[in-house]
Amino acid sequence: MTARADTPLARFAGDFVKSPTAVAAGIGLIVIALAAIFAGTVAPQNPYDLAQITILDGTLPPGSEGFDGFHYLLGSDEQGRDMYSAMIYGLRISLFVSFVAVGFAVMVGLVLGLLAAWRGGWVDGLIMRIVDIQLSFPALLVALLLLAALGKGVDKVILALILVQWAYFARTVRGAALVEIRKDYVTAARSLALPGWRILFGHLLPNVLPPVIVIATVQVANAIAIEASLSFLGVGVPITEPSLGLLIANGFDYLLSGRYWISFYPGVALLVTLVCINVVGDHVRDILNPRLSR
Amino acid sequence: MKNLSTAAVALALGSVVALPAAAQTLTAGFASEPSSVDPLYHNLGPNNATRKHMFEALVGEDENLGIVPMLAESWTTSDDGLTWTFKLREGVKFHDGGDFTSRDFLYTACRIPNVPNSPSSMAGFIKSAQTITAPDAMTIEVTTAAPYPLLLTDFASFGVVSASANGHDGPVEYLAEGCPGIDGYLDSNAYNDGTAAIGTGPYKFVEYVPGERIAMERFDGYWGDAPHWQSIVIRPITNDGARVAALLAGDVDVIEKPPVQDLERLRADENINVVQGASSRVIYLHFDHAGDPTPGVEGTDGKNPMQDVRVRRAISLAIDRGLIVDRIMGGLAVPARQLVPDFMRGTDPEIALETPDLDEAKRLLAEAGYPDGFKLVLGTPNDRYINDAKIAQAVAQMLTRAGIETEVDAMTASVFFSRRNNYEFSLYLAGWGASGAGMASPLRALVASQNKDKGLGGTNRGRYSNPDLDAVIEEALATVEPEAHDALLRKASRIVVDDVGILPLHFEVTPWALRAGLTMDARADQHTVLTSVRPGE
Repeated sequence: MTARADTPLARFAGDFVKSPTAVAAGIGLIVIALAAIFAGTVAPQNPYDLAQITILDGTLPPGSEGFDGFHYLLGSDEQGRDMYSAMIYGLRISLFVSFVAVGFAVMVGLVLGLLAAWRGGWVDGLIMRIVDIQLSFPALLVALLLLAALGKGVDKVILALILVQWAYFARTVRGAALVEIRKDYVTAARSLALPGWRILFGHLLPNVLPPVIVIATVQVANAIAIEASLSFLGVGVPITEPSLGLLIANGFDYLLSGRYWISFYPGVALLVTLVCINVVGDHVRDILNPRLSR
Repeated sequence: MKNLSTAAVALALGSVVALPAAAQTLTAGFASEPSSVDPLYHNLGPNNATRKHMFEALVGEDENLGIVPMLAESWTTSDDGLTWTFKLREGVKFHDGGDFTSRDFLYTACRIPNVPNSPSSMAGFIKSAQTITAPDAMTIEVTTAAPYPLLLTDFASFGVVSASANGHDGPVEYLAEGCPGIDGYLDSNAYNDGTAAIGTGPYKFVEYVPGERIAMERFDGYWGDAPHWQSIVIRPITNDGARVAALLAGDVDVIEKPPVQDLERLRADENINVVQGASSRVIYLHFDHAGDPTPGVEGTDGKNPMQDVRVRRAISLAIDRGLIVDRIMGGLAVPARQLVPDFMRGTDPEIALETPDLDEAKRLLAEAGYPDGFKLVLGTPNDRYINDAKIAQAVAQMLTRAGIETEVDAMTASVFFSRRNNYEFSLYLAGWGASGAGMASPLRALVASQNKDKGLGGTNRGRYSNPDLDAVIEEALATVEPEAHDALLRKASRIVVDDVGILPLHFEVTPWALRAGLTMDARADQHTVLTSVRPGE
């Protein structure tokens, strides 16, 4: 045992690098995230600036040159957006929406889940019945209904995703917290007459975090997929600022006519992103689950 | 054993003999489903197209929406233009064998305002008639309160039903406030199950399965030329890709509205024949002409820039209509100079196509007090017209280049139209399919000042109001003599174009795809009428 491996984080990092697949996926994820964050620098064109695109260059195949000499590496869609740039910008929207949404959903879920476990009784009953009702509907359907009522826009999509996803976290946190509450350290904290909020957030919270982290990684991938589905169905982001899902939807019209690149490349980008997140998430679960550690 | 083989041979022979009969069935894939077989229930494109097979109107419209004799053989107007006399065609039979007489037309007029649960009534088409009477069994006389040149177009818009099949056997008297002696009217279910679906058209009702098919069979007692097909089936296939796939697989013989992006491939396919024709549907942008402020516009200190003709002209100059037709519509459109295409009544051939000029557009914007432009939201449906949302995006690009930073708000048609009717857009994209009335149709609906009593400006959701224009339109609508009527329409069209009251973009060209060896007439009203489908290239 070296001193380096003493902190939980270092132990976690040490376990993580043991799997080459997870490392590869992790690197892929970092590259995707960096490209999305620095989209303005990485992408040769801002596809959301209508003054920069022109329908004169619409539906050009990959590798073509536009009328003013612009090189369309992965082709262009019918509005003359460079697919390569549009993908990077689309990724940015998809990642931003899902991370923000899952972040808020975790917070809401944590607070309500802990509250339900701690207070029990009718509070527990009320919160968990709401969770049950919500989880009995497919997430996509709930999100569709919400967006139909809320209208379009990135903020609305985020709100819909939070409302769809908090229930998963609330249920997980409550389960984990119920187990922890019976443990001696909580009894000890109680006998010291510590205030409830301190026991909840100071003692219980750190111990229920591991399952939440695992679920959060899976839910980020889910959120990306739901956002893409919503945009594909035309209720997500504005059409002049397409995310990956909307790009795929735009290209869908052209699949039969042989202009595959409009749907294909954003589809590949979506696939790679989801696979990377899921592989990383899987591996994190393996590490954090004590039953699986040898 | 011998019997058995004879039976087998007979069976084999039977199937060989049956083949030509099977080939006599024409199956069509419709892009949207009619909501009923009842011709008077719902004034909707697919309903009216389906109706044309089974029910005929008093007068008909040819492919270019010119008026032709149908159930009425001829007609005359009185000198004051207030009385119309229609001579009915002799020997016209209903599908149940009954004779068509003036009584049936009166009954149809009686039923129109009284169809139970009608979502969109045909009542507008008989509103102009003050009295409708039948001097004898083969004559209809119609009087109007004021001269009304569009009566024929109105009467071409609804199919005539059989009074007897609707359970009414006595004579009929038409009164606008209700017909005496008729207590109740059959609802559309009686038509959907076939009991009342008795018309005079070339095809008669066989079966209606909502969501699946409408089947019809040739009516042997038809007065006109017998149609080519023994039986026809209309199948609703709303998904574009699925409709094309059904045609390629041979499940259907003809489809309407093949998607623009697939046409290139369909044209190249030797098993497919593509037919297309100009339609009367104009795609236009309408400005919010009503006061300050206007929704979605920023950077104008609360002023409504659309009230300034220089801004409207600048927007018109910024838009390259030819480029949209070429790139977004794949050539399946004709750039618009005015509100109806050249082949219709009342167009002014002198009006030229706007030549795009970005510098002039910027200069006009600066002159109007917006040197830095402003922000704008362009509203559009995304599933109503061919490539509607894509056209809106292209317009947004072009306006942004001219300095008007434009955002596109695209939504499904039902949401769009309710928001538009609430005046929630300062600029919106929509379409208008002109009737056979030609220029008069968009003029009175889209740009005449809103006036419910006169039935004007019904779809003028930009609230455009120009007294000079209103005067010319009202005069045209009161002039029955065709030459004078058309001259006034030309004058009105010129006023609209000069004032940029509304901004026509292009006319849709409607394509149909058929299996090779078949052809059909492309109708300007975009209706798919299967009686015109025939062998040929």
